[in-house]
Amino acid sequence: MKSLRRFLNRLFNSATRRAQEERLREEIAEHIALQTEENLRAGVSPVEARRQAMLKFGGVEAMKQDYRAERGLLFIENLLGDLRNAGRTICRMPGLAAVIIVSLAIGIGVNTTILSWIQMILFQPLPGVSGASNFLLVEPRTETGGYPGASWLEYRALQTQVPALRDVVAFQMVPFNVGETGQTERTFGQLVSGNYFSALGLKPAIGRFIRPEEAERPGTEPVIVISYDYWQTRFRGAPEAVGQKVRVNERDLIVIGVAPREFQGTMLPLKFELWAPATLAPALLGGTRDLEDRSIRAFSLIGMLRPGATREKAQAEFSTAMAQLARDYPEASAGIGGEIVPFWNAPRGPQRMLISGLAILQGVMLLLLLAVCGNTANLMLARGSTRQREMAVRVALGAGRWRIVSLVLSENMLLALLGASLGGAIAVWGTTALRVAPMIGSFPILFQTRVDELTLAFAILLGAACGLIFSAAPAVHLARLDPQDGLRSSSNTPPRSRARKVLMGVEVGLAMVVLIAAALFLQSFRSARQTDPRFRPEGVLLAAYDLSGRNPDEASEREFAARLLERLRSLPDVEAAAIATNVPLDLHGIPARPFTVQGRVRTEAGQDRAISNTVTPGYFKVMAIPLLEGNDFAEMGDRAAPAQAIVNEEFVRRYLNGADAIGRRIQTRAGSFAIIGVARNSVYDAFGEPAQPAVYFSYRDLPAIQGEIHLRTRSGNETALTSEARAVLRDLDPMLPLYDVRTFSQHIERNLYLRRIPARMFVVLGPLLLGLAAIGIYAVVSYAVARRTREIGVRLALGATSGRVVLQIIRENLGVITWGTAIGWVLALVISVRAITKGVVNLPVFIGVPAILLGVATLACWIPARKVSRIDPMVALRHE
Amino acid sequence: MKQKTDVLQGTLALMVLKTLDVLGPLHGYGIARRIEQISGDLLAVNQGTLYPVLLKLEQEGAIASEWGASENNRRARFYRLTREGRKQLQVETQDWEQTAAIIGRFFDVKTEDL
Repeated sequence: MKSLRRFLNRLFNSATRRAQEERLREEIAEHIALQTEENLRAGVSPVEARRQAMLKFGGVEAMKQDYRAERGLLFIENLLGDLRNAGRTICRMPGLAAVIIVSLAIGIGVNTTILSWIQMILFQPLPGVSGASNFLLVEPRTETGGYPGASWLEYRALQTQVPALRDVVAFQMVPFNVGETGQTERTFGQLVSGNYFSALGLKPAIGRFIRPEEAERPGTEPVIVISYDYWQTRFRGAPEAVGQKVRVNERDLIVIGVAPREFQGTMLPLKFELWAPATLAPALLGGTRDLEDRSIRAFSLIGMLRPGATREKAQAEFSTAMAQLARDYPEASAGIGGEIVPFWNAPRGPQRMLISGLAILQGVMLLLLLAVCGNTANLMLARGSTRQREMAVRVALGAGRWRIVSLVLSENMLLALLGASLGGAIAVWGTTALRVAPMIGSFPILFQTRVDELTLAFAILLGAACGLIFSAAPAVHLARLDPQDGLRSSSNTPPRSRARKVLMGVEVGLAMVVLIAAALFLQSFRSARQTDPRFRPEGVLLAAYDLSGRNPDEASEREFAARLLERLRSLPDVEAAAIATNVPLDLHGIPARPFTVQGRVRTEAGQDRAISNTVTPGYFKVMAIPLLEGNDFAEMGDRAAPAQAIVNEEFVRRYLNGADAIGRRIQTRAGSFAIIGVARNSVYDAFGEPAQPAVYFSYRDLPAIQGEIHLRTRSGNETALTSEARAVLRDLDPMLPLYDVRTFSQHIERNLYLRRIPARMFVVLGPLLLGLAAIGIYAVVSYAVARRTREIGVRLALGATSGRVVLQIIRENLGVITWGTAIGWVLALVISVRAITKGVVNLPVFIGVPAILLGVATLACWIPARKVSRIDPMVALRHE
Repeated sequence: MKQKTDVLQGTLALMVLKTLDVLGPLHGYGIARRIEQISGDLLAVNQGTLYPVLLKLEQEGAIASEWGASENNRRARFYRLTREGRKQLQVETQDWEQTAAIIGRFFDVKTEDL
């Protein structure tokens, strides 16, 4: 109690220092005056009386020190003093301080921005949905570790068979053409289960959401929910929007409600505009068999734990349910188990790419910040050596080591915290800019990140850590100073500090590692893009048609395809034309179907599967996939030939052990087919995938209700074919729309888009880093050179040419830089060979990056060196 | 001499409290004079050391101070004992007497008593 009161009094006194000093001064004056009078009365002379009074009082200054120590909190007062002093010091070096603060701010700002993204994914993965981080992904998982998604029937079964999860919801992403024929616009929506909105706990902005019974039976209830943005832009936010018709994929749907403003769907970071009941899938997607075919795994499932249930329990129930499904439907579900995963840790899809990209980015950015700290420490050391005299005076006057350290520390902390606050501002600006920035590409992407208290605290913490890191070296350096030496040596000849050079080397080495990582990343992305898909996408136009609604039978489907192909092939610019049910490198993938093949006995349980695509004759010509053996399919009109199949090399290798395939029979659910040819392997699902077995069936044998038209142009300008193709289809059937028209390259771009986001960031990051390293070198060299102005003046006066001086300065600094580069190079090489490229060295990157880095480093040395070498020797010699 | 001062520093606070208890409100010089008179030459030098002690006591709440007029009508700071200070004095007086008694008994003990 007593000590608390004493503490509070002291705290208060610290604030009222001036008044207290005045009081003490007055008391002392009074005391001495009274003592002097006393002495006078005793008969001493006035001068002597005062002298004796002073003697009796004792050492005034020592007493004042005791008094001050007793009065206030020395620690706080010293700190305030240090901060005032730090402020003054920083104001005396505005240029240097600006460089430090700005580079720190960039480092901290970028890190904070990335953290806010990661934080969004972890804690607020679904904007507009509260408690979304509690959702779990319910992911079927194949034996080989793939995550194929769930089929609709599987979902219906899991809904009741995993009681630990409440409200499992299903959704899939679909492209929509909205509007009348001829003026449609393309947008993305989600097909959702009936409990979607209620399970997410959303409240409609107006109207209502989809009711569970509206997603029960296929083809019922043509209703749709629109996004808030869509409502605002298309209906100007009018309440009458509810009840209006919207034409989606050639169907009229009735708007029943508007989603809340922030809600953007359940596949981050994609932004969806429309939500329709999953049961509309066949109507909206050209008769897709999504709802009845168990091998079409188009849906993603999420669910939340029931109160009291654990993830382990849900996992166990899920595994049991999947095992049961595998027993009941072996052809679709054999070997498929399941995994319950936290929402942020999505094993597939855009979220997965985002989180791993961000994690790498955060690591790289922290390295970058470390490099900035290196810069700053270097600058501080350079400055610190010119302050040796100042520090020596302080030590000589009785300042303790800790006072010196705390002085240096407070200066650097002030700089660091200024940098952190600016960095926080950059992060706020950056996340806002990212929110409003339109993303390029065919997918609408929206990041709803914001900087909150947590991320700001992170920025401050980073700043403080940086401050500590870059004060350590100068503080130790100055605190070890011997005042005698410090006072004796002139400020014009700073000792060649090895620490400074080592730091510069370390920093260059760090820059090297990050630059190489960035270059490798970019290269790997570009090479994925340049990987030969083993078919030729250039010059191919894709377009889809859909006969559902015309209720065609097999014969009319075949007939339609044959007539369509005939007309298309007669176009002058068409070199080859074909129709297929699936397109490689599609986001949804190509289905793999079970089969048995003559001459193979499967030993283990389950069924052989192969990618299967149904194509017309001419397909291999359009795709430029060579047939290694045998022939193309029989013509569409041929009624004599038996059912045919063409397999690929991998199929022959894996299922026939390389034996002759021609003539063997394949049995599938659709019938029996004779193998008539072997096609070369090509890419089906993704660039860089391992070779997959594939079977092609003929459109003649298995006509389909819808098809993807493939047109190879003669002229190389495939987009020019669009209108001609439309005209051909209109001639055949005036009411039939040609939809999803795109070049094959555009089709691939869509697939690559999500991989491109981190690559783009590295493109921005690389130069930024190079710039920071250059600033660092420039600052250190120019500072060191400025301190040696007199020495250089002497040399110039003695006849050295400015060229020689420049060369010498560059050589001195380049030595360390080269060392740093070399070590960083080796480090990057080890990491790359061990972890990234697995033994392959990317020579252009490992030669090019160091060349660029050394070039920039030389330039950064040269600029300050040339400046000082141009100085007039007389001016240089007079320089303090 | 040095040891003497150390003892003095420890007991100075007690002396100040006792002085204020006996004489009522006093200014710094008055307290110094009184202690000097009673203790002889102990506080003849370094009267200044009194002031940090006064400050400490004031911050602990044992004494309070205010400006007033000294005997020759000059502005001076007068210290007086607070209720808490009186209590503290009582406790410390007891402590001191107890300590002194124990020490005294130790000095009285002779070898043959053991």
